Amino acid sequence: MPEHTHNGMQCNEFDALLSDALDGVLTGTVLDRFQAHAHSCKACGPLFAEAEAGRGWLKGLMEVEPPANLVANILASTTGVDTQRLRASVPQHRVTWLEQMQASVSGFLEPVWATVRQPRFAMSFGMAFFALSVGLTVAGVKPTDIRAISLRPSAIRHTYYETRARVVRYVDNVRPVLELQAAIHGVKRNLEPAEPGRQTKPAKVREEKNDDTTQQPEQKQERNYSQTDSRYMLACAPLGPSVSDLPVVSVSTYRRLV
Amino acid sequence: MEDVQVIAMLVRRCIAGDAAAWEEIVQTYNRRIYNICYRFAGTGDDAEDLTQEVFIKMYRTLSSYDSSKGAFVTWVTTITRNLLVDHFRKTKQDRMTDSMDTAASEHEDAQPLSEQIQDQSAPPDAHVRSREVSETVHAALARLSPELREAVILRDLQDMDYREIATVLRVPEGTVKSRINRGRAELARLLQRTYRQVM
Repeated sequence: MPEHTHNGMQCNEFDALLSDALDGVLTGTVLDRFQAHAHSCKACGPLFAEAEAGRGWLKGLMEVEPPANLVANILASTTGVDTQRLRASVPQHRVTWLEQMQASVSGFLEPVWATVRQPRFAMSFGMAFFALSVGLTVAGVKPTDIRAISLRPSAIRHTYYETRARVVRYVDNVRPVLELQAAIHGVKRNLEPAEPGRQTKPAKVREEKNDDTTQQPEQKQERNYSQTDSRYMLACAPLGPSVSDLPVVSVSTYRRLV
Repeated sequence: MEDVQVIAMLVRRCIAGDAAAWEEIVQTYNRRIYNICYRFAGTGDDAEDLTQEVFIKMYRTLSSYDSSKGAFVTWVTTITRNLLVDHFRKTKQDRMTDSMDTAASEHEDAQPLSEQIQDQSAPPDAHVRSREVSETVHAALARLSPELREAVILRDLQDMDYREIATVLRVPEGTVKSRINRGRAELARLLQRTYRQVM
């Protein structure tokens, strides 16, 4: 800084008083001389303005917040142990055996679970579950029944004997019914004519189809109606004392000569 | 304003092995030391590491503190300043005041600070703008020489008086005042180009 004198104050004196002037502690004639020198000196005037501006910039800086774990790190690096207050501020979490087991199992279950969570597999599992639930509902299985099942050996043995007795009772009860059904079927079988539908129905169809026979040559009839009619008559005849009481039926056939 | 008696008692208890007393000292001064380190080093990570180093050094040399020689905060600030100077020498950040037109980084895409500021559009939120201004001033502060930077930090950010600063820096009070004035003026010149319209 050049050693010039303006208004009775040299530049080095101005520089020494600059801090006090910015702090506002200069008073009286010293302050007047300082201000006069700042206005007249081309070097000290801008210096005063810049110093005042820089001080304003620095005063505008806010205090920064230290990291949250700074104190804990300092204490750990100096004393090596956490203090009681720090330990009290940090909630202690006790790991249960269930959480340990979940942590160990999740290691190899996680890839499987990631595969299962794919949409196609999820849809398949959903449909399977739906079908199973519907099947169990139709079968009458209730969750309460499953919950009530006892897996003790004595209970299993009791269930086995009870189920076996139930099956035996069911078969015994069903046997007379089956025998009765078999007898009824036997009677029906005896009463029914031998293949009645096979001969009558095709004949009717043939008659309906060949209703108009004027333009067609007549086909040869080889059916023995006498035997068929007599069998019908025998089936419909009341049970009498003897065969001689039956009415005499004469059947004649007309055959057209071609 | 620290209570001398309370601090002296805390130091005695700490030297006797009272962990709670040490924790109270850490709780009281960690913010101040972290801010000095942050403004001087420039980054939060460096400031955190340096703050831990300061407290480790304090913990080891706490018995050397003599309350008759000065205030505890002056002693703490002296330890911090010495460690910051050592850190500065290790990292060889041997740069003096730069123009803002000089690139801040060695990267090719790095822009001068003035261009970075000019490219930013005016934020609608005043809080955002204030934060950006603070970051700009912080970046400009990092461009001051270490002698000027530590002087203005201790005076304008930590509100220490000239005598305490002279004790910490081990220079006369006149030199302290001169460094503070030069530091302020240099900072203003660095910021003046960008914020001329604001000023």
